[in-house]
Amino acid sequence: MQKHTIYVYRLYRMTAALILSVPFIILSVSCRKFIEVEPPLTGLNGSNVYTTDATAAAVLTDIYAQMSARNASLTDQSITSIPLYVSLGADELILYDLNAQNLAGYYRNELHYGSHPSYWNAIYPQIYASNSAIAGLNESTQLTPALKQQLLGEAKFIRAFCYFYLVNMFGDVSLVLDLDYKANALLPRAPVAQVYEQIILDLKEAQELLSIDYLQGDALTAYPSGSEERVRPTKWAATALLARVYLYTGDNDNAATEASKVIDHATLYNLGPLNQTFLKNNQEAIWQLQPVRIEANPNSGEGRLFVLPPSGPNTIDHFVYLSPQVVNSFETDDQRKTNWVDSVIVDGTTYYYPYKYKIGNVAAPMQEYPTILRLAEQYLIRAEARAAQNNIAGAQSDLNIIRSRAGLPNTTAADKTTLLHAILQERRVELFTEWGHRWFDLKRTGQLDAVMQVVAPLKGSSWKPYQALYPIPQEDLNRDPNLVQNPGYNQ
Amino acid sequence: MRQTLLHRSCTRYSLLTALFLSLAFFTTNAQANEHRVTLSGNGIPLRSVFKAIKKQTGFAVMYNTTLTMINQDEKVTVHFTATPLDEVLAFIFRGKNLEWSYNDDVLLIRKKETPPPRVKKIVDSTVTPALLTGKVTDATGQPLIGATVQVKGSSQGTTTDEQGKFSLAKVGNGDVLLISSVGYETRELPVKGRSVLAQLNVLVSGLDETVVIAYGTTTQRLSTGNIASVKAKEIAMQPVSNPLLALQGRVPGLFIEQATGIPGSGVTVRIQGQNSLSAGSDPLYVIDGVPYASQMLDGISTIQGRTGAGGTAGNPLSYINPADIESIEVLKDADATSIYGSRAAAGAILITTKKGKAGKTKVDFNWQQGWAKVGNFVDLLNTQQYLEMRHEAKRNDNVAIGPTDYDINGTWDTTRYTDWQKVLIGGTAQYSDAQLSVSGGTASTTFLVNGGYHRETTVFPGGLHDQKASVHLNVSHSSPNQRLRLQVDGKYLTDNNQLTATDLTPIALQLAPNAPALYQPGGQLNWATNAAGASTWANPLAHLETTYRNRVHNLIGNAILRYRVLPGLDIKANLGYTYIIRNEALLYPLSASPPETRPSSTNSSRFGNDQLSTWLIEPQATYTRNIHKGKLEVLLGSTFQQNQSNQQQLNAVGFSSDLLLEDIRAATTVTAGNTIASVYKYNAIFGRLNYNWQNKYIINLNARRDGSSRFGANNLFNNFWSVGGAWLFYNESFIQKHLPFLSYGKLRASYGTSGNDQIGDYRFMSLYFSRSRAVPYQGVTGLFTTGFPNPYLQWEEIRKLQAGLETGFWADRVLFNLTYYRNRSANQLLFYALPVLTGHTDITSNFPATIQNSGWELTFNTINLQGLDFHWSSSINLTIPENRLLEYKNLAQSVDAPYYIIGEPFLISRRYPALGVDPATGIYIYTDRHGSPTSIPTYPEDATVIVNTAPKYYGGLQNSIRYRGFTLDFLIQFVKQEAQSNHFGDRPGAFYSDAFGSYGNQPVAVLERWQKNGDQRPVQRFSSTYPVEIALPYWSIFDSDAAFADASFLRLKNLSLSWQLPAAQLKKLHLQQARIFTQGQNLLTFTKYSGLDPESRSNTLPPLRVWTLGIQVTL
Repeated sequence: MQKHTIYVYRLYRMTAALILSVPFIILSVSCRKFIEVEPPLTGLNGSNVYTTDATAAAVLTDIYAQMSARNASLTDQSITSIPLYVSLGADELILYDLNAQNLAGYYRNELHYGSHPSYWNAIYPQIYASNSAIAGLNESTQLTPALKQQLLGEAKFIRAFCYFYLVNMFGDVSLVLDLDYKANALLPRAPVAQVYEQIILDLKEAQELLSIDYLQGDALTAYPSGSEERVRPTKWAATALLARVYLYTGDNDNAATEASKVIDHATLYNLGPLNQTFLKNNQEAIWQLQPVRIEANPNSGEGRLFVLPPSGPNTIDHFVYLSPQVVNSFETDDQRKTNWVDSVIVDGTTYYYPYKYKIGNVAAPMQEYPTILRLAEQYLIRAEARAAQNNIAGAQSDLNIIRSRAGLPNTTAADKTTLLHAILQERRVELFTEWGHRWFDLKRTGQLDAVMQVVAPLKGSSWKPYQALYPIPQEDLNRDPNLVQNPGYNQ
Repeated sequence: MRQTLLHRSCTRYSLLTALFLSLAFFTTNAQANEHRVTLSGNGIPLRSVFKAIKKQTGFAVMYNTTLTMINQDEKVTVHFTATPLDEVLAFIFRGKNLEWSYNDDVLLIRKKETPPPRVKKIVDSTVTPALLTGKVTDATGQPLIGATVQVKGSSQGTTTDEQGKFSLAKVGNGDVLLISSVGYETRELPVKGRSVLAQLNVLVSGLDETVVIAYGTTTQRLSTGNIASVKAKEIAMQPVSNPLLALQGRVPGLFIEQATGIPGSGVTVRIQGQNSLSAGSDPLYVIDGVPYASQMLDGISTIQGRTGAGGTAGNPLSYINPADIESIEVLKDADATSIYGSRAAAGAILITTKKGKAGKTKVDFNWQQGWAKVGNFVDLLNTQQYLEMRHEAKRNDNVAIGPTDYDINGTWDTTRYTDWQKVLIGGTAQYSDAQLSVSGGTASTTFLVNGGYHRETTVFPGGLHDQKASVHLNVSHSSPNQRLRLQVDGKYLTDNNQLTATDLTPIALQLAPNAPALYQPGGQLNWATNAAGASTWANPLAHLETTYRNRVHNLIGNAILRYRVLPGLDIKANLGYTYIIRNEALLYPLSASPPETRPSSTNSSRFGNDQLSTWLIEPQATYTRNIHKGKLEVLLGSTFQQNQSNQQQLNAVGFSSDLLLEDIRAATTVTAGNTIASVYKYNAIFGRLNYNWQNKYIINLNARRDGSSRFGANNLFNNFWSVGGAWLFYNESFIQKHLPFLSYGKLRASYGTSGNDQIGDYRFMSLYFSRSRAVPYQGVTGLFTTGFPNPYLQWEEIRKLQAGLETGFWADRVLFNLTYYRNRSANQLLFYALPVLTGHTDITSNFPATIQNSGWELTFNTINLQGLDFHWSSSINLTIPENRLLEYKNLAQSVDAPYYIIGEPFLISRRYPALGVDPATGIYIYTDRHGSPTSIPTYPEDATVIVNTAPKYYGGLQNSIRYRGFTLDFLIQFVKQEAQSNHFGDRPGAFYSDAFGSYGNQPVAVLERWQKNGDQRPVQRFSSTYPVEIALPYWSIFDSDAAFADASFLRLKNLSLSWQLPAAQLKKLHLQQARIFTQGQNLLTFTKYSGLDPESRSNTLPPLRVWTLGIQVTL
């Protein structure tokens, strides 16, 4: 028995030691290192993307690529679909298929904050992309200085570009300039004037920062002269947009000054023949987008949507055509009517369509680029600014440059009022179905109500002045307690 | 008359005692039976045998030489090969009046104090059939009163009297007696004389069947946690291809919904409710100890439907062969799950697959063939009603019939009528399943091989089908001394699922009833082109031209290596690996496009390749010893786990021919789609301590320290713990004395924590991803950032409190369990909603919010009738869940303010109070926040009605009836719930049709519409254009309480009828078993729900009604 007791005692001791040692063995091997992960192989991380030139440039490039990708289908509501939706709301396009609810909402100016997609939702993420680039670039110390400068300029330009359209569509908008989501989620809407101040500030900085040459994909190397791809913003893009912003804000002196800078830069910018205005990298283009989709047709979304097939408009992919108001607004012999407007006849009905971009929904090589900023607008900006300054001769001269390219005689307008009127008419026929110019011109010149009261009944709706501003999406009103809806939309 | 034995109350007390005594005996034996001895020798002394026993089992043999009269020099001849210790002892002490017991590491042998009653067969030489007398006792010799004694194959029988005695006339030698009594194993006894003494063993109760738990096993009797178990038998009765679907309605606290009736459908599984506001609420799946994916990666098609809130492509459990499963355990409370730490906040589902059993090699073949159909169609408008609606809508709008109103402008034949549901989803799907398994082995090595084949087609036209082939191999081996044990298990399944890109069900519900014929007279697809040559509709059969192919290979391997270091101390390593490969292809040939668009469109294909892999290493040590009068079990272990998710998707366009769509080289452009390469790393130590004092008091402690790579650097580790206890009060003598009818009674309670890390990988990092373009912008592939990073991410912690009462009455003939649970989930990981002006619509963040899921779970099992030939048992389970938002700091100021209310359920929907249709204007009106009527309410101010979207209660009623060779099982599932109804159609009166899609038809309910001033109708006026003043009130109805209707249902979920070949026939055919059976799933549904199916509640293909015939043969 004694022997057994000793045996059992030893056994206990051994087992106890073993049991006690197990957790220590386990603890010693379970270490923090085991569960720390590297970033996934499929992505870069916020702290290293702005450490090399190539990756930093790729962040900005993606903004343009994304704009371009979304341009491929203009119904895919994004900033590049403005030529469709905003034009629909004005007197430029007729909607063929009223059953298409989203389009009909814009067409009949019956937007509803709950049921229609909104540019608000489309544009703010793009502002975030530029804000995060600005933050990342500002913190970065390892980039080539020239590159960092260019990219900062591009980011500020994009931010200004986005706010320009937001403020023109929605009026007062929240001014988000950093990444502090907690504070930003509570932002109220900033007055229009304050938003414009910020736009001007950004554009002025962009002017300083951006290259005077068109740069290649590395955002550092200029293209050899004559073979520029005009698809990255330059100092001239910032200047052109700044001229427009000054014009919109009534600062005619500065508008004329800035427009002159672009107009005078003749080594890069000249008015070419009408049939070349929308070709890729033509002499008039200040900023274009390079198509990134190939499929059957690697050209502009505008061309694909607007250019009607022989079967005429349909409900699938050609659901708009040009309004009689546009067709009838051309003076006799206006070359733009023959060059930029075409038509098909189906069952005895003539459907006119915008023919600025000439490649429709057919297979074709890449020839046309969606054009965002072009020289003709700068002449018209300067003409309008000069007219407002009572520089009649200067205004006439600018206006006549545009008219003569269209094969029209010099303007007969000779005083400020008639000139301003003539310039507005010229803008209408020069810039129709491009980037919402008509709608914004009507708004800023105070003619929107008068025009829409005539046009709206033709569309089967009735015009209410509050419809000049788009409604803010209900979701954001719910989520940001300090946001207030535009008047008229709360029943 | 055959006499069926019913229970007699006078026997209860003795039964209970017998049960208890037998149990005590059984447990001792069970312990000793784990020890086995291998020894051979002729004429070896007992001393050597004792030495061998000590060496091989660890037991020191002790005895008093005087009392036992054991002579250790006595020579014996033995041949033991892994013979259980008890048998060894019985052999060497045969003929000696000795007994033995085990105490710690000592085997104590002593003289038997009272000679045991023995099975005596008193042989009488008389051969003539005459009076047979006998006595029936339990294993301890106590007489069994009221036991049934029957002569097999005749109607002759009787019952025993107060002394357990019986007599039967005219019983011949060679006749067989069937002796049975409630709570005892039925025994067959051949008559070999004129007097019989039969001893019956206590039936091992269902309460003592092995139940698998985390890192071990227990029984329902001894468990301290809330665990439910579904066995192979119940799974085999159901013709399902995803084992999760076999659990529907069977387990309290478990709510399972099938997303669609398409093969490989998504399945949502919720244990005791949704435990997180927005992170995942999927349970942890563990197959043979290895964690298994709860979600597939998002695929390139959504046709298979979602699994819970996430995932778009089916369910990973579809790739497990249900026939390979031995049991599925559902672990619900903290006691059962906190040892899984951060992964099992939403409970755990353990799947244990079949193993081979020692004995004769068994060959089992099971084949079934079946048919499946859509069980219910929606009542839709016929052509006449449809045209009436359309014309009325045009009149209401005062709008002329336009060029695109093909249905009424003469383009389409207005006299046609097609029941599109019948044409598109009215087919019969074929169902075939075959399983062949071979198993067997020796005491030291067992094996099992199962091969399975499964094929099912769809109810859609065309030859779509899903085929699976699988193999399962299991080998177990133990060393002769039983110290080393090894188990290796491998499962492989390959699935080839051929589907289309599009579910035809929504099309069938929306196509105008006068839509054109599918085929032209020549047999080509009819596109019904208009004068301009444009297709006026999307021919639904064109969708069949597109192909969605989903091929999956699933490998699950695991090995368990166990070594007994010392008696009571085992070390064990669990090694596991799972690897799921999915290969998807989505092909869009030109032939699927309308002919006129083909010149300007391109054919294209998308490919997806995913791999999900997990490896796991879990070293563990267990120690068992008796301390005082109790038994202590200690477990310690560590987990190393790593999951890898990889995905590469490719988009290819511009093939020269539709035939080349699968060959990516034939494309003119190939671009990359989504890519994933993420790693999840996980590491933990865990321990468990269980002390069982005389099967009366049990305490169970769990602890785990977890580290997970899903969280920011500051919050990598966390601790989880639980305390569970059980009081088996029926073992108390005062209970036994005063409540003799109580055969089982347990109170259990547990409290503890577990965590939820289902938020996806890398959420704390700010990541930039590449975005590939067909033509890179300036030759550069862009980088974009995805969302706001949050480096402070932490666990979502859940605290579970559960208490249960388990009772059994009259020898467990009636079992009643009641559980109360209260799970509180705090520190919620939310996709905290942001206004889009910040740049993103949400951010993942821990939030000071607490939600609670509580409820009652109830099960009631009864044996209603029990006889030799007839057996009927029932089981009811019922769950009454409740959810509540307990805390949400600063809710009023938060963005969630419109969606939640503190103190109210969190699964709510805020709705406008609908007032019906304004008799004057014919549009919907609602009560606004001020109580006045409005037709344009605003959200959320006017949404003053709170609707609870969670089920009110659910459960199942199972019945099992056996009569001779026939067995009938059926399960009725019931759910009380409310859901969005489809009463209001989709813009009734409007029509849209082109080459890419169309809508128009409506449920007949819309006929109850307003037509003229003064009409009091539930549906607003028809409109074809839905101008804003009509559309806004119309859309608001879906956000009103009126659109929320009863979607409760009662469903004959499963029915299984089988007939077993009689024993005599089996013998003739040299078969162990043979049966033919018929089974059905979702056979009947009773519901007021107006849509296709109250379970899937959508316009997707509903779960199908399946019916099969089958045969099972065992050699």
